[in-house]
Amino acid sequence: MMAKSIIVVAEHFEGQIKPVTYELVACAITLQQINPLPIKVIILGDDVAGLAREIAEISGQDVLGVRVPHLIHYNGETYRELLAKLIIEYNAKFVLAAHTSQGLDFAPALAVALHADCISEVENIFKKNGRICFARPLYGGKVVAQINSEADTSILTIQPGMFKPKETDFQRPGKIEIKSSGFHPHQSKTLGLKHADADTSGIAEAKVIVAAGRGIGEEEKLDAIYQLATLFPRSAVAGSRIICDMGWLEYKCQVGTTGATVTPDLYFACGISGAVQHVSGMRGSGFIVAINTDPAAAIFQVADICVVEDLKTFIPVLIEEYMKSKSE
Amino acid sequence: MKILVCVKQVPESDVPIHFNDDGTWIQADSFSEYKMNRLDEYAVEEAVGLKEVFSDTTIDVISVGPDRSADVIIRAIGMGADHGIHLKTEINGYLSPSFIAAWIAEYACKKNYALILTGAVSEDHMNAQVGPRIAAHLDMPCATGVIFKKLLSDNHTLYVEREIEGGNRDMLELKTPVVLTIQSGTNTPRYPSLSNLLRANKQELEIIDTRKLTQPETVETIFQVAYPVKSRAAEVLTGSPQEKATKLLQILREKAFIE
Repeated sequence: MMAKSIIVVAEHFEGQIKPVTYELVACAITLQQINPLPIKVIILGDDVAGLAREIAEISGQDVLGVRVPHLIHYNGETYRELLAKLIIEYNAKFVLAAHTSQGLDFAPALAVALHADCISEVENIFKKNGRICFARPLYGGKVVAQINSEADTSILTIQPGMFKPKETDFQRPGKIEIKSSGFHPHQSKTLGLKHADADTSGIAEAKVIVAAGRGIGEEEKLDAIYQLATLFPRSAVAGSRIICDMGWLEYKCQVGTTGATVTPDLYFACGISGAVQHVSGMRGSGFIVAINTDPAAAIFQVADICVVEDLKTFIPVLIEEYMKSKSE
Repeated sequence: MKILVCVKQVPESDVPIHFNDDGTWIQADSFSEYKMNRLDEYAVEEAVGLKEVFSDTTIDVISVGPDRSADVIIRAIGMGADHGIHLKTEINGYLSPSFIAAWIAEYACKKNYALILTGAVSEDHMNAQVGPRIAAHLDMPCATGVIFKKLLSDNHTLYVEREIEGGNRDMLELKTPVVLTIQSGTNTPRYPSLSNLLRANKQELEIIDTRKLTQPETVETIFQVAYPVKSRAAEVLTGSPQEKATKLLQILREKAFIE
């Protein structure tokens, strides 16, 4: 049997390698420093030769491209079937996929098929007590669980933004191998992509974003958020997913994984718990102020300034103090 | 059409979380209030919505958990589900999704469900694995993060849109029987009705002791829990609300965000 290996499942979308692919490679290198196994990047798709070469050149890792006719767009059934075979063929000890709509769609089923375990949303990997430890969030990011695995194969979905690709110091591009597969899904048919109809440019271009989360309690309290936003030039009001789910704001105002990714100079998080799905959309903001009644809220982990107050009473005080200072 | 909806009871999490003495898990009395996982409410609503269109639909609702989990099964019946199944376990702490999915699949395998629904992710342990794992156990197709679905005229094909990054959607067709995990915001979950709740309280739940089901191998183990590390300065303002407001305005001025 082939020696054990680390497999990275490349993610691509509309003909482009997703940047998270290189984060997965960085994660694989972290893992390799603890457990020195060879790394192989696998990419599946209709036309993968060019993409495989790109990954080999940028990452310096060996790449296997599997050409699957008609697999232009992601299809979960195809990924599950083909990856299960490849993981056995390459005797993978670790399989690294992105914790994205693709990775979390195929990874759990792969674990069942292979009697592997599946650890989702891994944010960190380190050695502790002589063993490999995976860290992942629980309870909206308020708790970090440290996990050991006994399994022969571990499928990991890696949270985007947590492993930074390092400046490449490799001497040569990785080797490229291209195979073909005639697999055709029989349980499902992918029809393609429907682009978001929500235009998020309003919040994407704002210099200051005042964002509301579940902590605002009731829709009427959005008035205070709008008022706060008026203090800042070129500002916009945004919200976490739950606020949009409740219909209090339109989805075009949603910040997070399934909404917009924003990088304003100032991000004001009001009553936002700070689940990673939200944080991943605003982590890059220049300066972050968070207001929350819960001192343990995860949003405070990414904030520059933490205000432990009820926003319903604090925002009016803040506006009042601002008006006072202006008239002085 | 026979539908199975998988629901989970999760704690109200807007409370400080304390750890047990050896830091291996959360202190047993950290949580006092529980509710139905928010995304599972959307899954129940999807099922009830289908039943309103297709009158020959029956909805079973299933949950894995300790005694208190019966509350969310009853709530789902209150929303319009027909029958409740409680896979009871003594485990009150972390339960791996590999266990939850294997047990639900073992229950579901001989029941001929055309549709198995669950929320896309649980708010407490956030694994997002139970749905796709059930599908793999039962060799059924699966779509995760579903935001729209429509049964086509052949009655065996579902047209599904699943939400991907940036609010874009994958469009696909799946042959029933099928597992769907439902994204939040898909519908407006109804409140339980009084008449349904009265019915729920009268009818007995089907209770199965999970010790009598196949025990999957334990694979992943949480050996320690910790609080997250701060990634920024995280300066905590102190004083009265007025003092905090003054301090905050001063900082915002220094940074030239306001005049």
